[in-house]
Amino acid sequence: MTADTAVFAVSCTVKPTGARTLHKERQLEQFLADVERRALRIAEIGVRDRDEALDLVQDAMIKLVKNYSNRHEGEWPPLFYRILQNGVRDWHRRQGVRNRVMVWFQKAKKTDDSDYDVIAAAPDPVGRSPDEELQNSEAMQDMESAVHDLPTRQREAFMLRTFEGLDVAATAIAMGCSEGSVKTHYSRAVHTLRDRLGEHWQ
Amino acid sequence: MKKEEAQAEQAFVERAKQAFDQSVDGLDAASLSRLNRGRQAALAKIERPRQLWLPAAGAAAAVLLAVVMLRGPEVDVIAAPASDLEILLSEDSIDMFEELEFYSWLDVAELEGDGDVG
Repeated sequence: MTADTAVFAVSCTVKPTGARTLHKERQLEQFLADVERRALRIAEIGVRDRDEALDLVQDAMIKLVKNYSNRHEGEWPPLFYRILQNGVRDWHRRQGVRNRVMVWFQKAKKTDDSDYDVIAAAPDPVGRSPDEELQNSEAMQDMESAVHDLPTRQREAFMLRTFEGLDVAATAIAMGCSEGSVKTHYSRAVHTLRDRLGEHWQ
Repeated sequence: MKKEEAQAEQAFVERAKQAFDQSVDGLDAASLSRLNRGRQAALAKIERPRQLWLPAAGAAAAVLLAVVMLRGPEVDVIAAPASDLEILLSEDSIDMFEELEFYSWLDVAELEGDGDVG
């Protein structure tokens, strides 16, 4: 082996490993920083509780990093949202069990829906007058309430397609179903929301 | 689907997206801070490649050093006393080498004189 060959062999086997890891780490951090705020709001609409939504988003980020950090970055959005949606579904299952137990013990609490304050949860918009802020908040409150009341699959399809901007294929991966099912759920969701929200949203 | 219906649906979706984006922009500092902490906690879980070659390289270096230290003195034993080895292998008596100065004087005396030595 000549000296040049030896240097080439060392540079190929050692240096790129560290550089590649660092590059991947930066890509992953950038992806999470880009997606985390929208993910929080999507999870929050799903569970109607910001603290719970923050925990769900953090769990999804950890699972993505631990299990899929070596995947190509283009695969991260659907994988991340699949993890997040699974977390939201698990959260609802646990809540269902908890509520049944609480009812059985006659300690069922009032649901959080009536106490949930979207304005307090999403304050401080920049550059808008109080009237605009109030209108937007009210509009979003109506929207959130309507989206939350959709059937689970319709809600997932609508939020991933409209709020996150995933295409049909990525949404199908995130939801774990066919692209045809995504189109059906999404179409039904849009029609239901338009009917419910009425003229103000047309 | 009629064209008007499709346009109305598109307008609805765009308005929903706009309202959602505004709610995202309005997230409070406490929530953003928790998101940041969560992200850092997640990134800390990245598995970095282990430097498996380091222990092997260390062991190889130790073996090489041991070999050099064990073989080092042999070089001195062979190189330094070459003249002693010649003496030992010579057919001449060791006494001759011990009295080399005397025999040198004797040779000179024989050459200069008439052989009347002693």
